[in-house]
Amino acid sequence: MEVRSVVQGRVVDIVAAIGTSVEAGDDLVIVESMKMEVPIQAPQDGSVTEVRVGIGDAVEEGTVLVVLG
Amino acid sequence: MSAESPAPRPTGWEPELAELELRTRLVQQMGGPEGVARQHSNGKLTVRERLDLLADAGTLREFMSLMGSASYVDGELRSLTPKASVDAFCQVEGRKIVVAGGDFTVRGGSGGGGHGGLGMELSASRRALEWRVPYVRLLDAAGGSVRSFEEIGRTYLPDGNSFTLPDVRLLRAVPVVSAVLGSVAGLPAVNACVAHFNVMVKGTSQLFPGGPPVVKAALGYDVTKEELGGSEMHTTVSGVVDNLAETEQEAIAMVRRFLSYLPSSVWEMAPRAQTGDDPARREERLLRIKSKDPRRAYDARQLVECIVDRGSFFEIAPRYGRARTTGLARLNGYPVGVMANNPMFGAATDVAAGEKVARMIQLCDTFHIPVIDFADEPGFMVGIESEKKGIERAGARLVITTCDSQMPWATVVVGQLYGVAGQCHHRPTGMFQRYAWPSANWGSMHVEGGAFAAYRREIESAPDPEAKQREIEKRLKDLASPFRTAEATGQDIIDPRETRRLLCEFVEEAQPILRSQLGPTAVPYRP
Repeated sequence: MEVRSVVQGRVVDIVAAIGTSVEAGDDLVIVESMKMEVPIQAPQDGSVTEVRVGIGDAVEEGTVLVVLG
Repeated sequence: MSAESPAPRPTGWEPELAELELRTRLVQQMGGPEGVARQHSNGKLTVRERLDLLADAGTLREFMSLMGSASYVDGELRSLTPKASVDAFCQVEGRKIVVAGGDFTVRGGSGGGGHGGLGMELSASRRALEWRVPYVRLLDAAGGSVRSFEEIGRTYLPDGNSFTLPDVRLLRAVPVVSAVLGSVAGLPAVNACVAHFNVMVKGTSQLFPGGPPVVKAALGYDVTKEELGGSEMHTTVSGVVDNLAETEQEAIAMVRRFLSYLPSSVWEMAPRAQTGDDPARREERLLRIKSKDPRRAYDARQLVECIVDRGSFFEIAPRYGRARTTGLARLNGYPVGVMANNPMFGAATDVAAGEKVARMIQLCDTFHIPVIDFADEPGFMVGIESEKKGIERAGARLVITTCDSQMPWATVVVGQLYGVAGQCHHRPTGMFQRYAWPSANWGSMHVEGGAFAAYRREIESAPDPEAKQREIEKRLKDLASPFRTAEATGQDIIDPRETRRLLCEFVEEAQPILRSQLGPTAVPYRP
């Protein structure tokens, strides 16, 4: 499933690299928005099959950040 | 009592009573067994099943129930199809309401079926207005139909406002709730929003002025009902519907719950409940939810749930405008409206969050319940997307709604409080109390970004501009302790663990003020 940013901002950290197994609620990517670091979390268990953004990228609300398999 | 009680003596009224019984039985059948079966196979309940879920047992009192389309042979009644709605008084948690339940099994819930005129009985909405009781719509209707042109042999001017007027007046008088329980188009779709709260059901309910065939005819493209006006669209993108329910049962439970926090009308006080939660309860967890690292986001819902009476938080519009969490809750049993910036969704008030908060303030003002505001406000959302949506006009609406409101209001500054959005957590009039946690920091704008704008010449002319900017920023940040503000202005800084006790006291003190404000507000509620 595609995991999307809930805010617009800038990617400051990619916590879960490709291949990482994650549980629902784990942080995947950190997006900085309006001086807050917003963790984008896994909505369900799975493993990271794609990371579509890099550190420093500007993202919109709804931009796909990672794909969970 | 004797086993064989004697048959009552005939009075002569037996035929009329039998006809009343027959007609009552016929309208109970709604649109007939086929229509009922179709309703069920579409995964929906019938209007009568819905009313059983909404009303306290045994309290349903229908009115205008014998209205419908009848056919006669030689003056004898052959059939009676009821009008496409079941209208009734009933009780919800012991308090009277009026409900108008659309019946999709009759002509797809569409109007017509009964052509009223002189002598028409009072409509459901007029009764709610005159009786001063909450009004609930169970919407499952397709709006107007061109079939009615053939029935009346002409077309008609779309003067629906003539009978929508009471619905408009209701908004400033009694709680109004719409539950969207099917494909709802036309006027009923708009009525879904002429309400203080609305809810729709995943998969079986959609909302649009015109459905897919109308879109195809007007714009030439194909779209499904769900894509066009389903719950994904309306509870996350458009914000037209507040809450999403998984089932009709859950939707109707939400309607009951929403009403439980509100008075029956603007002339009454909201009902207090026994929640059994200690008003002086201290929550150690609050010191962990708000991290020492000011950039670390937390979920405002956790913070709210720690502070209000346990289990009392009912979130409104949780999927839309998520930078602000809004809802109803209780403090020491008294209903309150809650709003909180939610850093998990960026916290900055954008157009969607601004509209949502303005509605919450108006809801509380209209029904005389205090507002409890947890502020962690970075400012209005900046950027091109925000400008496209019109952030200044949304900001203006929020400023105006804030200043125009009168109900008691308490703000707790949890973290940031910046800019004009920060100013919307303060009201310069009426019963307004502000507390700040030691984690609070504030200003007309942020030091970062703000320093360069204000000290541009000094920074640019320095031998090492970056070092100069850092030096100025440090100087400004050293001034940012909330205790320095408290020295000068008297701002109350509190131990976060005392928040619940202080807010419970505030809400208790607010009760006489609220009583003195009963009645309609000067500024009418705008959904």
